[in-house]
Amino acid sequence: MAEKTARKKNTRFSDKTDGLLNYSELKTPKFKLLYWTMFLGLFIVSLICLLPVLWIAVSGFKEVDEMYAVPPTLLPQTWNFGRVCAVIAKVDLVKYLKNSIILIVGCWACDIIINGLAGYVLSRLKPAGTAFLETLIFWSMLLSGMSMVPLYMSFVDVPLLHINLTGSYVPIWLMAGSNAFNILLFRNFFNGIPMEYLEAARIDGCTNLGIFSQIIIPLSKPIIMVVTIFSIIGTWGNFFWPYLMLGNTEKEPISVMLYRLSSGSSNLMDNEYMLLMMLSVIPMIIIYAIFSKRIIGGLDMSGLKG
Amino acid sequence: MAKTAQAKQYKLKKNRNLSSVVKRSIPGWLIILPSLALFVFIVWRPIAIGIRYSFFSLRGFEPVEFVGLKNFKDVLTDTNFIQTLQNTLQYVLWSMIIGFPLPFVCAVMMNEMVHMKGYFKITTYLPVVVPAIATSLIWKMVYMDGPGGLLNMVLYYFGVEPMQWLSNKNIAILLIIISTTWNGFGGTLILYLGALQGVNQELYEAARLDGAGFFGRICHVMIPHMRGMLLLMAIRQIIGIFNITEQPLAMTGGGPSGASMSLGLTNYFYAFKYGQYEKSLALGVIVFCILAILTYVYFKLDKRVNE
Repeated sequence: MAEKTARKKNTRFSDKTDGLLNYSELKTPKFKLLYWTMFLGLFIVSLICLLPVLWIAVSGFKEVDEMYAVPPTLLPQTWNFGRVCAVIAKVDLVKYLKNSIILIVGCWACDIIINGLAGYVLSRLKPAGTAFLETLIFWSMLLSGMSMVPLYMSFVDVPLLHINLTGSYVPIWLMAGSNAFNILLFRNFFNGIPMEYLEAARIDGCTNLGIFSQIIIPLSKPIIMVVTIFSIIGTWGNFFWPYLMLGNTEKEPISVMLYRLSSGSSNLMDNEYMLLMMLSVIPMIIIYAIFSKRIIGGLDMSGLKG
Repeated sequence: MAKTAQAKQYKLKKNRNLSSVVKRSIPGWLIILPSLALFVFIVWRPIAIGIRYSFFSLRGFEPVEFVGLKNFKDVLTDTNFIQTLQNTLQYVLWSMIIGFPLPFVCAVMMNEMVHMKGYFKITTYLPVVVPAIATSLIWKMVYMDGPGGLLNMVLYYFGVEPMQWLSNKNIAILLIIISTTWNGFGGTLILYLGALQGVNQELYEAARLDGAGFFGRICHVMIPHMRGMLLLMAIRQIIGIFNITEQPLAMTGGGPSGASMSLGLTNYFYAFKYGQYEKSLALGVIVFCILAILTYVYFKLDKRVNE
């Protein structure tokens, strides 16, 4: 029991080993004040980060007249959880969820396979012209998605094939397959795999394919994991091109549906709409709650070069 | 005679080298081909087409007649163009004032924290997983006029009457930038936090011995270490905000009376609301040129920083 409380109180100034302020300075009142001012500042920032999401979640449960009541109520007077089911049924959320999942799976597969292989080529195979390819890809990073109409035209009438891709998931999947940022992420990761591993495998008589499947892939699990999480979060919120390609069709993902219901006429009450927004955010918060360490670590991994 | 033989031999050797290079490169080229094809199809070809077609008049999506700079003239002489450009610069300006320093200041403070550091890290990153479109729609509710909006509710507790927010044309852009900052600053913060760990601790110690105070240490040790990264992030943010489309579309639709219209949204409206593809293409080329210059600067800096 005593041990437990000791562990609970393990945040002490004496634990501080690095940074602008050191332990001995923090013992003076001047720096103590500074420290707690910063703490307060961060606390307010973190509150602002949480508040809008919490507010949406709570407001959804209020009755409409309670939402607009003066003085405002902090928590709803009654928690009517049945309304969640009612909203799900009313907007046919399951259908949109299915659409979003199809979109996510396709984008994920394209992302991992195409960008992963490109990163591998740039990092390990290094064919002639690698420098040129890298320049091409780096430039794409900031210029992608810049030309709205020409890209739209290309999807309406695909060059060489002459098929119309509007109203299908394919354009969004293809766009996920040309993610320069992820190529860089993969390349940097593969650069970090020690060459000796590959040499050793080669001496043991491993073929190129064998090296890839038996050494590279197992070692790449962390990066695949990170890209997977980012891909899921990114695709779930992807709005603009899904809106142009799939808006007002049977294949609308949740993000597009949310916007359509907010702008056009809908038979949803304001509180029901807030519940819907909350429902659209919850899956991502769950993923974040499970993988927050990996997500934050993954950002570190991408580093500056991304 | 001997010379030509030598030259011949040299040529042969070179050819053999070339063919061996090609042979060695083929698997690499084949594997990267799909990725390359996608980049051509999705990034480079549309840019080329956009530039070419912007000099034509179109029927549907087909170019009909070469019209020179007419489309550009139409865009630039549009009565709203100057205002839209000003608005876009205002977006950039506000994001530089609010969105740029915030993650850095928070990262510096968080780096000093002993208490609840993990909690701060997790809560500030949370908004990043909220989709951009949901962020815009949630903040639209936060800014709602009348007593139902969160901001007005908070004001009520301070005894202030409900105010107009997004329908006030003087602050609409600022409010949109606050919401995008909320959505994005956590990601940048984590990057800064990583870089701050790389500051040489002995330099702090040395500055302390030289009598540098808290701010002295920030100015003389931390900022010089972070300068490159700060510059990169600034340019990245300028490029991102310059293109802002989705947020004004969802939050204000460009209103009130065009006060939050951005170049990106104008481009979208030309294309998908008014069906004026020529103008959209020309505007796209103009924005592309501005951003290409910024991108060029970005990579120049990136190289220098990484060296």
